[in-house]
Amino acid sequence: MAHDLALVWPEILVLFTATGSLVLEMIRRPRWSCAFTVAGLAVATAVAAGRMEARAAVFSGTLRVDVLLVWARVVLAPATALCSLLAHARAAGGEREATLHALLSYGLLGALLLAGAGDVMFLVLGLLLTSLASFALVAHAADDRGTEAALKYFIFGSVSGAILAFAVTFWFGATGSTLLSGLGRLGGHPWAAALGLAGVLAGLGYKAAVVPFHFWAPDAYDGAPVAVAAYLSVVPKTGAIFALAQVLGQLPADGVAWRPAVALLAAISMSWGNLAALRQESLPRLLAYSSIAQAGYFLVGATALGRSAMAVPALIVFAAAYAAMNIGAFAVVAGTGIDRTALAGVGRKAPLTGVAMVCFLLSLVGVPPLAGFAGKLLLFGAAIDARFGWLAVVAILNSVLSLAVYLRIIVPMYARPGLGEAPVRQSPVVAVAGVALAATLFLGVAARLFFGDGPTVARMDAGPRNGAGPAKARYLVNFPIGSSSGW
Amino acid sequence: MPVLSLTLFLPLIGALLLLALPRRSAGAAHAVGIGTAGLTLLGALAIWARGAGAGFSQVEEVAWVPSLGAAFRLGVDGISLPLVLLASALFLAVLLFSTEVRERPRSYVALFLFLETSCLGVFLSLDLLLFYVFFELTLVGMYFIISGWGHEDRQRAAVMFFLYTLIGSLPLLLAILALHLHTAPRTFDMRALVAAPPLSGGAALATFLAMLFTFSVKTPLFPLHSWLPAAHVQAPAPGSTILAGVLLKLGGYGFIRFALQMTPDAFRAAAPWVAGLAVFSALYGAMVALAQTDLKRLVAYTSVNHMGYLVLAVSAAAATADRAARTIAVDGATLQMVSHGIVTGVLFLLVGALQDRTRTREMGELGGLVSRIPRLAWCFILAAFASLGLPGLAHFPAEFQMFLGAFRVWPWAAAAAVVGLVLTAALYLRAIRSVFFGEPSGQSAGMRDLGSREAFAIIPLLVLIVAIGVAPRILLDTIHAAAAAILP
Repeated sequence: MAHDLALVWPEILVLFTATGSLVLEMIRRPRWSCAFTVAGLAVATAVAAGRMEARAAVFSGTLRVDVLLVWARVVLAPATALCSLLAHARAAGGEREATLHALLSYGLLGALLLAGAGDVMFLVLGLLLTSLASFALVAHAADDRGTEAALKYFIFGSVSGAILAFAVTFWFGATGSTLLSGLGRLGGHPWAAALGLAGVLAGLGYKAAVVPFHFWAPDAYDGAPVAVAAYLSVVPKTGAIFALAQVLGQLPADGVAWRPAVALLAAISMSWGNLAALRQESLPRLLAYSSIAQAGYFLVGATALGRSAMAVPALIVFAAAYAAMNIGAFAVVAGTGIDRTALAGVGRKAPLTGVAMVCFLLSLVGVPPLAGFAGKLLLFGAAIDARFGWLAVVAILNSVLSLAVYLRIIVPMYARPGLGEAPVRQSPVVAVAGVALAATLFLGVAARLFFGDGPTVARMDAGPRNGAGPAKARYLVNFPIGSSSGW
Repeated sequence: MPVLSLTLFLPLIGALLLLALPRRSAGAAHAVGIGTAGLTLLGALAIWARGAGAGFSQVEEVAWVPSLGAAFRLGVDGISLPLVLLASALFLAVLLFSTEVRERPRSYVALFLFLETSCLGVFLSLDLLLFYVFFELTLVGMYFIISGWGHEDRQRAAVMFFLYTLIGSLPLLLAILALHLHTAPRTFDMRALVAAPPLSGGAALATFLAMLFTFSVKTPLFPLHSWLPAAHVQAPAPGSTILAGVLLKLGGYGFIRFALQMTPDAFRAAAPWVAGLAVFSALYGAMVALAQTDLKRLVAYTSVNHMGYLVLAVSAAAATADRAARTIAVDGATLQMVSHGIVTGVLFLLVGALQDRTRTREMGELGGLVSRIPRLAWCFILAAFASLGLPGLAHFPAEFQMFLGAFRVWPWAAAAAVVGLVLTAALYLRAIRSVFFGEPSGQSAGMRDLGSREAFAIIPLLVLIVAIGVAPRILLDTIHAAAAAILP
């Protein structure tokens, strides 16, 4: 038991951070909550970064500390800290600020539980935790738009969560166990497997904002404060995608044909998200549709799970890149304004802001050598390796479509003479944008950090694993295909 | 001494230095730009002096992601070295020409320097991923140049340029991934792929088609050329010079390095079709140019014509097993890239100089300028004759070799392509007659002739045109060794 607890120290630290923030609210010292949250999450990240090689299934196999969870910790905890800073810029001095930070941390905890789910109960638990935190976050500003958005989100999310919980009962019935590692026994129960999969895709797809379970996203991002929209676009989405990866990695190959279904969802999400974003005038809404499209890209990587050795690295690198560029884009929006015309002329009035926004948007398109390119390169490589070349073609066509979407933002930034006043400079917003910009610029160049070093070329083959390999190969490279112990 | 890396990053360092300058100092910005470009040209000459020929030499390598086999890997061979020289010479000329730009000069020079690093990176890189990174970065630089300093319809042209060429370059990413996934051990090293092309059968054909798409957009080849006129016309004259002089060569270089060397069997199978398309593209470009009334558009369409010959020669090299024919075709193709770059570059600079004076590009509104601005007029006439292939000037040795190589493989195709030479002669003579000869119009009175700024940019390029025409050996010695060894 003690050994298991030691392995989940980062999650425990996140829990302490969340609860501590609530305590600060109770003792009427909300002004410390932002610093406390950022510090707590920084400590959690540091602890997690020191334990990147941990591979174990803890708590009787219900939580899996594997490559997905260790990277989720290192990517999502700093992302939450950045969102916390962004939120502080707007909500500072407000009454319930500490609640905001507590909810951000609780949501992070839920996302981490999702990312490390080894049991269907953890899927439900993680989903509930992030969802409840997200509903409250959207409503935090207590204005009409926020309340309406939160209510839509709540109804949609409750139903989806219920569908998920109902669907996994089929899997329990067929396999006799709630553990994901027991899904190998689904082979002889095609109907139970299919129904369960449909529900899981619906439940996790809703959280990740995948078409056709995305309807809550534009309203929620529009009604919520910008920092909350940034948070929603990164943390719960990544948690849900990693949870889906955990599930799909355990499904037997002969049990149910899930690859075409996931590939189709990927293609539709990418296309729908980009096409709808072409018509948006409100920046959070545009970024919401863009994040729906990015969820599609995540699913391209998920389609290749089990068939390509590049699939898991692709998901992780893209998650890190996506966190950086999305938070950066939202930070710029937080500084300038939520209408598309608010950005007009920013390129001339505030050149650094303009350059930063151009970097974030071009990274979202996938222009090298930015972080988004590294992620997309691996995603497309995984798709081709898994013999889903058509999906890679759809993905690159969508990349071009997404350029058209983001050029709608970039062109006014530089074309028109400056209208209105220069963007307000708040130091937390600038700090967040700066960190995000640095990450966007260097994650592409520093891609080797994700891969470890040493003569690991042989490991990238999609063949059976032969031995543990030298201890040098730390981070991503040991993920056997078809082994019952999972990653 | 990592000369390649230094030469590659010198422009980028110059661009970053510019950020340290105060915003309004146009003179200092241009001085930094010209100094940096000059040093880069020296670096390129140093690379030349160190020697390059068959096979990749002067390789500099720093591991990037060892698990994937991706590395920061630079090197030159006889095909890429002339293009490096071309790029550095043209950028220096362009920055000399641009010293009168007063509107946001810092950003302008910085963008050109950034573009120079990207272009040099494409030619110098020996790693597929690195190639792709620089390939895409050229799009970003050019987009901002067109949209920031272009002419009346620049926003639309810049957006169309960016979108069109991005659609064009993304299939190359898939082709790169396909090539990478089939190597064993997996690597992005271009040397390994050239020495042992990994693909075969349907996968090879699909990869070749993806690369054909990308490089047909870039070169450009009919029917994927429609971005060219708008982008060229709306870009500022220095931007058009780089676009025609350097960026189009990325496509030609890609045809040789990727299509010919990495998927030779697929290219051989598809060569007759590609050659047919190339001949059609050459004739189409010439005929459309003949119909133009806008001088800049006319020069833009002649690029389609000249690049058509290039693709014909490369297809002939792919199709034949005759080593001698292949060598001569690739010789001609590479020399054509250099010649076309310099000649069309000079033509665009001259058109820009003309446009500065006359405010119009319509040939019908101009006339008799040879008596008003004789130096500019005769420079243009010289460059135009070079472009139509007059012996003794740059294009002649290149076109002679290309047609000779193509003739040995497909005599009829070469014959059809030669018709394009007649058309090109017609269109240039018509342009010269209507712009420079005839009755001078009243508005051209008091026009300034070629100034020192423009002369510093244009005259050296004209000297190079004559030098390459009279003594092509200076480049052919370098090219020939690599062309002879182009396929194992």
